[in-house]
Amino acid sequence: MLHIRDLYFNYPNQVSVLKSIDLNLDTGNIYGLFGKNGEGKTTLIKVITGLLYPKSGECRFDNIPTSQRYPSVLQEVFLVPEDFELPAVSVNTFATMNSKFYPNFSQEHFDSLLKEFNINPLKTIPTLSFGQKKKVLIAFGIAVNTSLLLMDEPTNGLDIPSKSQFRKVMAASVDKGQCIVISTHQVRDLHSLINHVIILDDARVVLNQSLQRISEVLWFGRASGQDKNEIVHSEGAFGGKTIVKRGEKDESEMDLELLFNGVLQERQTINQLLEHA
Amino acid sequence: MNQSFNITRVFLFIKRDLLLLRGTITSSLAVAAILIFLFSIFNMIWDKQLTSEEFVGIFTLVFIPMGLLFSFALFREFSSPKTNHLYLALPVSTSERLLSKWITATLLYIVTISIIALAVGFIALLVGGILFGANLDPLALFSSSYWSIVGVYLFIQPIFMVGAMTFAKNRLVKTLLALGLLTLGFIVFHLILFGLLNGGFDVMPKNGMASVSFIGADFSTVGRWFYGLLFGPFMLVVAYFKMKEKEV
Amino acid sequence: MDFDNSKPIYLQIVEFFYENILIKDWQEGGRIPSVREVAMMVEVNPNTAIRAFNYLQDLEVIYNKRGIGYFVAEDGYSKVLEIKRKEFLEQSLPDVFKKMDLLNISFTELKNAYNEQKNEKK
Repeated sequence: MLHIRDLYFNYPNQVSVLKSIDLNLDTGNIYGLFGKNGEGKTTLIKVITGLLYPKSGECRFDNIPTSQRYPSVLQEVFLVPEDFELPAVSVNTFATMNSKFYPNFSQEHFDSLLKEFNINPLKTIPTLSFGQKKKVLIAFGIAVNTSLLLMDEPTNGLDIPSKSQFRKVMAASVDKGQCIVISTHQVRDLHSLINHVIILDDARVVLNQSLQRISEVLWFGRASGQDKNEIVHSEGAFGGKTIVKRGEKDESEMDLELLFNGVLQERQTINQLLEHA
Repeated sequence: MNQSFNITRVFLFIKRDLLLLRGTITSSLAVAAILIFLFSIFNMIWDKQLTSEEFVGIFTLVFIPMGLLFSFALFREFSSPKTNHLYLALPVSTSERLLSKWITATLLYIVTISIIALAVGFIALLVGGILFGANLDPLALFSSSYWSIVGVYLFIQPIFMVGAMTFAKNRLVKTLLALGLLTLGFIVFHLILFGLLNGGFDVMPKNGMASVSFIGADFSTVGRWFYGLLFGPFMLVVAYFKMKEKEV
Repeated sequence: MDFDNSKPIYLQIVEFFYENILIKDWQEGGRIPSVREVAMMVEVNPNTAIRAFNYLQDLEVIYNKRGIGYFVAEDGYSKVLEIKRKEFLEQSLPDVFKKMDLLNISFTELKNAYNEQKNEKK
């Protein structure tokens, strides 16, 4: 659905924030886009939406460059930005004035999401807290039902109960025909939601794998003595967490944070294992 | 259906802008009405009448600045880094965006403010007639100079549209400054041109200021068309590319 | 040192199913929540929930009526009971025995503790 080929991007008079990016995004997946702050997550998301233009390489949605900003493509892409301002109208008015441009918008779905989030649609947006505004935009983004939904740090500004509400809503809303990209540096918040992980570091994609493949090859937990040679990455000294080659072991629950740190340090080893093991 | 132009979307987009700016619009129209009313009344205090030239003068005083402020308000969403993500990602093409903005800032604006001005002018005449026995002549509100003012507005509005999109902060001041520099540039250019072409014939007024007004008055029809075409449509084309090339 | 075997999420969902079936919250032959509902309940990617459903379907604990939903198999309860008994006998018990050896706890001690708890409950 979305294809990125050898994409480079830099802001005027600055070094590249994205280098040689190759990515394919497909429907039916929730992608987690991870990276330290300032590693280009937001930039990549903006390039995908067509809000920034690649300096070289291409980013195509159904074979049309997103930088063209054709309505036919924009109808299928929605971005929930990290920082935003909504107009001084009621929640309902906000939805009506924008939803007409999205052919697949469902008012019913929007209403039920607001209910789930405990937001009164008759309230005017400036009277809402930032977290509530974010929930309005998230609800709207889900209800427009675009085939590509991008969310930049969606859990930033949400309190703990709201984060759980968010996960519930996302789990229930994903359609087989939809592709969702969630960028975050708060790995813990979202790790149960995603099924594919993309890690950006030093302006490049350093890992792009499905969680299924990762748990086939790697095992996460505390290693025993005989695992010593199989250790790929370890944290803390005695009894610390490790990533080891899975071999014949039972599948373990993936520790995204551990993987993230592991990939930043042992990028080549991990990628080699994932590609060849 | 052409994928990048759909007239329904243009109307929807106009409706969206009006909804978004309804507060700004109603309060500025109220201010406009009050200003026109007060100016008209003051005008009648002196000479007990309101001629059409006087009324158009008052109208211009309100119409042009208000229109320019309105053009800027229309591009507020486009310029603010906190709102333009949502705005630019809306499934509307560049030509649709520009056309809807242009229709709102020119056609809709001109019609609305003209109707309001006429109504307010009429009320002012009535009040003036009662208070200080001014001549009540509703026909005085209509005049041919009204159309030339509308023409001037149509001609400078695209420049302000470009200004509203080009500058991020202090958009209004910078646009006026740029416009001032541009005018100055043209005057100097004309002066040089005039001097080059007519230098030998000794028709240049000796006084510096006089030469400026002399050149201003000597704007030929060809020149008027040249600049009219240059600024109006050309600036619209510039605005199109500004819109198309906008990144967040 | 032993493995700290934190189970993958889909297996944790399977455990959640087992529990509901064992305490008879989900009756044999009765309908169970949909994939989407389960995904929402436990806040996971629907693909993960599907994995749990497939796993249980392979074990014939649940079955799918096309277009209607998922149901607990007619012998679902006994199947789960068998699975859990096996798991207890083959995995949990050896661990307990190992610990008993390590801490020098005799079988009589264990028996007394067991009876004591049973009496307390009564």
